[in-house]
Amino acid sequence: MPRIQIGSWANDAVNWLRDNLDWLFTLITKVLNGLYDAIHTVLAAPEPLLLAGILAVLAWWLRGLPAALLTFLGFALIDSIEQWGPTVESLSLVLVACLITVVVAVPLGIWAARSRVVGGALRPVLDLMQTMPAMVYLIPGILFFGLGVVPGIVATIVFSMPPAVRMTELGIRQVDPELVEAAEAFGTHPRRTLLRVQLPLALPTIMAGINQVIMLALSMVVIAGMVGGGGLGSSVYNAISSVNVALGAEAGLAVVILAMYLDRMTGALNQRVSPLGRRALAKAQAALGGVKFLQWRPATSVAMVGVVVLALLAGGMGMFGKGGGQAGGGNGRPISLGYVNWDEGKATTYLWKEILEERGYKPKVQALEAGPLFAGQARGDIDVQTNAWLPTTHASYWKKYADKLEDLGAWYDKTSLEIAVPSYMKDIKTLDDLKGKGGEFGGKITGIEPGAGEMKILKEKVLKDYGLGGEYKVQESSTASMLSELDRSLHDKKPIAVTLWSPHWAYDKYPLTKLKDPKGSFGSGDSLHLLGRKGFAKDEPEVAKWMKNFHLDEKQLTSLENAIKGAGEGHEQDGVRTWLKKNPGLVEKVAPSAGATYAKGKDAGKAPNIGYPAWDEGIATTYLWKNVLEKRGYKPNIRNLDVGPMWTGLSTGQIDVETDGWLPVAQKQYWDTYKKDLVDVGPWYDKTSLEIAVPSYVKGVKTLDDLREHKDEFKGKIIGIEPGTGEMKRLKDNVAPAYGLQDFEVTSAGTSAMLAELDRAYHKKEPIAVVLWSPHWAYSKYQLTKLADPKGTWGANNQIKTLGNKSFPKKFPEFHGWLKNWKMSAEELGSLEQDIQDAGKGKENKGVEKWIADHPGIVDKMAPVK
Amino acid sequence: MSRLQAEHLYKVFGRRPEDAAARLEAGADRDELRAEGTTAAVIDASIEVDEGQIFVVMGLSGSGKSTLLRMLNGLLEPTAGTVRFDGQDLTSLSDKELRKVRSEKISMVFQHFALFPHRSVLENAAYGLEVQGVPRAERERRATEALELTGLKGWEKSWPDELSGGMQQRVGLARALATNADLLLMDESFSALDPLIRRDVQDQLLELQKTLKKTIVFITHDLNEAMRLGDKIAVMRDGRIVQIGSAEDILVTPANDYVASFTQDVDRTRVLTAGAIMAEVGTVLGSTTPDGKKLGTGAEFRAAAPATVGVDTPLVELFTPCSTSTVPVAVTDANGDLVGAVAAERLLAVLGEPADQDATPGVPAQAAAADGTAARLDKKPAEDGPVDDKPEDKVIAGA
Repeated sequence: MPRIQIGSWANDAVNWLRDNLDWLFTLITKVLNGLYDAIHTVLAAPEPLLLAGILAVLAWWLRGLPAALLTFLGFALIDSIEQWGPTVESLSLVLVACLITVVVAVPLGIWAARSRVVGGALRPVLDLMQTMPAMVYLIPGILFFGLGVVPGIVATIVFSMPPAVRMTELGIRQVDPELVEAAEAFGTHPRRTLLRVQLPLALPTIMAGINQVIMLALSMVVIAGMVGGGGLGSSVYNAISSVNVALGAEAGLAVVILAMYLDRMTGALNQRVSPLGRRALAKAQAALGGVKFLQWRPATSVAMVGVVVLALLAGGMGMFGKGGGQAGGGNGRPISLGYVNWDEGKATTYLWKEILEERGYKPKVQALEAGPLFAGQARGDIDVQTNAWLPTTHASYWKKYADKLEDLGAWYDKTSLEIAVPSYMKDIKTLDDLKGKGGEFGGKITGIEPGAGEMKILKEKVLKDYGLGGEYKVQESSTASMLSELDRSLHDKKPIAVTLWSPHWAYDKYPLTKLKDPKGSFGSGDSLHLLGRKGFAKDEPEVAKWMKNFHLDEKQLTSLENAIKGAGEGHEQDGVRTWLKKNPGLVEKVAPSAGATYAKGKDAGKAPNIGYPAWDEGIATTYLWKNVLEKRGYKPNIRNLDVGPMWTGLSTGQIDVETDGWLPVAQKQYWDTYKKDLVDVGPWYDKTSLEIAVPSYVKGVKTLDDLREHKDEFKGKIIGIEPGTGEMKRLKDNVAPAYGLQDFEVTSAGTSAMLAELDRAYHKKEPIAVVLWSPHWAYSKYQLTKLADPKGTWGANNQIKTLGNKSFPKKFPEFHGWLKNWKMSAEELGSLEQDIQDAGKGKENKGVEKWIADHPGIVDKMAPVK
Repeated sequence: MSRLQAEHLYKVFGRRPEDAAARLEAGADRDELRAEGTTAAVIDASIEVDEGQIFVVMGLSGSGKSTLLRMLNGLLEPTAGTVRFDGQDLTSLSDKELRKVRSEKISMVFQHFALFPHRSVLENAAYGLEVQGVPRAERERRATEALELTGLKGWEKSWPDELSGGMQQRVGLARALATNADLLLMDESFSALDPLIRRDVQDQLLELQKTLKKTIVFITHDLNEAMRLGDKIAVMRDGRIVQIGSAEDILVTPANDYVASFTQDVDRTRVLTAGAIMAEVGTVLGSTTPDGKKLGTGAEFRAAAPATVGVDTPLVELFTPCSTSTVPVAVTDANGDLVGAVAAERLLAVLGEPADQDATPGVPAQAAAADGTAARLDKKPAEDGPVDDKPEDKVIAGA
């Protein structure tokens, strides 16, 4: 049987859609987000009890007084158990999803009822929508729509659409054909027949469909919580992933109350909106005797007035409640933090939330499953995730998304993977002790998700190393199930062996023994990494820098976790604040606020004219100094000039200083001409050289002699720069004859053409030889080999010097002093050029900012002030 | 003048109906088509309905009568043939024009009433007017009038499901009458009613018809109903009209066995009239009564006759007088002139006919079948032994 590649086709299709229909997904995302925000804003505005009142009036209208009272009590209870926020979010999600579902499904159902072909074609599609496991399309949903409510809404729509379509179709088909014929016989237009006869008569069935839609939507909303859909789903997910029975019960209860309300109300809605329903209602009421007042319902108009009055009240109060607000201290840029819902993740995330808020950012936190978290971040929806376990646990995700993420470094490295058993199993201390005890444990080690790195190591390595393979079976389950199983066994004092890891709150909560691993089979343990989305460090260099320098030790982490636990669910940030009070200065240490308060220099306010040639190191250093000077209160002017004019300008004093003087060789003639009007402030870089470079993947070419030997490989070509430059001249006059390279063709298209050619060849992994010099950013960007010049034909090395007009030291004594002591390493210059290159043309300053952020203390080093 | 004419109507369901219709025209068999999956519901049906006439189409289920009816108002488009109403060719109209005709000129009453359950009785009755776009006040006034006509005054605010079947159908009738349409199509309209109620509404329809003079096409499978209501009756079988004629025609001279077997169970005493079976006055004159009176003249006969009836009097009313005397009953025309006589023997002989046929399913029946639908059974009276020739001639002449 040939393998049919359905899976890879689906994958291709998803990729194709992402590449080609991105605009559509963006549009859908915008629309759905807008709808959700609008509805959520309205529902979240009033005081909880007021909204409960509005819902109660609706219930009164639809079902009578008892229902109204129960409604009010139910929603008041939700408020009391602090599930109001998530409930309103879920309600908004359900409403948006149902609105769209009904708008789409009812016409589809009508169409299906009128055309057998359409009906037949729709049926398998509906089956697919109804039965395809939600997770299968939730993950691609994230790829298309990003994290947040939108994929949740889309998944909900997909899941809840079928009954609406089916029931509409059924309802229309069920309408007595004689009635339709009667309408036709009296000359009714088909459209009118549909609207005045078929739809009203099908309405009870359609309403039953809508009722189902709402129920399905609500159940799906819980699942959507796992992909960041928010609402009660998030609460439930939080609860089950940390075995928090209390939260689980409360969130679950809120779901039930919401579900019952929606179910009863949509059920009763039929009696109000459809004529047949009204008939049935009237009959039922006529049949009823004494307790009529319980059944009395306000007329539609009365109920409407009630709702409107309450809503106005709510609107007013909502406005007053919102008055004031917080004037953001900083720049207010949002940063979204995501974490896998493990304690250390929660702890660091909330810690960072607090830190960032103090620094004027607007952080948002989200707990997600690892899969959606990585997928969402790869898409750029999450800026930073705080607890990536690398290199082992999250290896599969890292492998998949590494090119879309940036490692902001490890902040904790004392993690370990292990098997743990209850401490009351006194004679089991090491993995070796497990041997022979298989019977006691039922031959079972309770594992976690089958995809987890730890499971793989356990099965493939640990069991073998300790010879436990025959005796124990690793039971795949999930983290939540493993923890419940552990809880159950501990409660019953039964033996159990679980896969666990440190840090983990289970060690705080239960008496457990980590089994020693004398053979080191579990490996050296993961580090906890902060991961940024691609480009995060560039967009938020300061935050990235803070994060790179961020570390917690075990004591800090445990105490932080405990503080958060102590504050209780929903009050994590209070826990963080408590903890920070006990750790004064930590915020300042993690995120130094110095950025805002550079000290002014003595000559602040002065305006030196700095010239520079359009060479990379000239641009880089000039912009660097411009930035540093501005931080010190200077007002530098920088001017880009050709080499000749610049030297002239320097000599006349129009230019005070330049940083790109190649001496003693390359610019000797200028120096000789103008030196009486100039001062040599001093060299800042002395590792310059001229050379021919080839990509490092071209093996066996290390020297200029090798280049000659591999002439064919390079097609006899050397890519040069502008003709007439010193380097090209030297290549032709000195280097080529010395190494027998005369029959190479040296192209001379210019520096930028050379670099473009290099880039092209580099991507295709083709051999290429280029004329280059150091320092050059190309060395940071590409892996290049500078070809050795054993005969010394390129001549003595230049230094790069700062040169000033002779009046410069007097006019700018402080600046002069700084320049005199300034030096740069090859690494510093390379990375600075690279950052500027990355920032793009015209955004040099942004590149410099990032580089400065990556080099804390550099400003003080370059321009010390007392 | 006939207001409604349908000429050579065909309706074929299935693939390529036009081809099938053409083949039927060329003489193909219905069963032949059915084998290919196409169903010929109506084959070459032509009818003419005069103003103020109740035209009954009768047949068993599946005979194509409902299909025929639906082609008359365009609910079904004929595969071939034309329908003319008031000279207008309905088959050539656009959908929109057709809807206009249906809303203004043609109404329909349905077998299961087809009342809209989500509308009150008044709203139901006003439905056609609503479609016409008549303003609310006027349409409610007219609907109320129509309900009054059908005897439902006071029920306007009720809902259809609160009414009995007979009342519901009277709402259906009111709905059809309210639009002032001239043509009324009634599709088995009384079939779903209990026999007693059915009689009532039949009477009511006849009563209304006396004043309203609508042109009515009435579909039924009940011959008694057909005989009772129909000015003219078309009998359908397997998509074809096998006979068109008055109730007496159908009963007395069925076109073939099929029609004859249909008429078997009909209560002839109510359908046949004195005029249809009477003998000439001459056959009585010259005879003597048991008590010795000589019946020499018409006046003597009338004086001796146990009763004098009109030509339209159903036979059922002749039994009592006949049983009291051996003198035949005198029959007079609309002017009161003596036109014939019905003797007790004659009465019994006429009622005995169908039984005779059943008892001897020999030559006559086969001859009838072989002669086809248009056969006029000239021979048949001659074989009806006990009855003398002349009265039989009379019957035929009257047909």
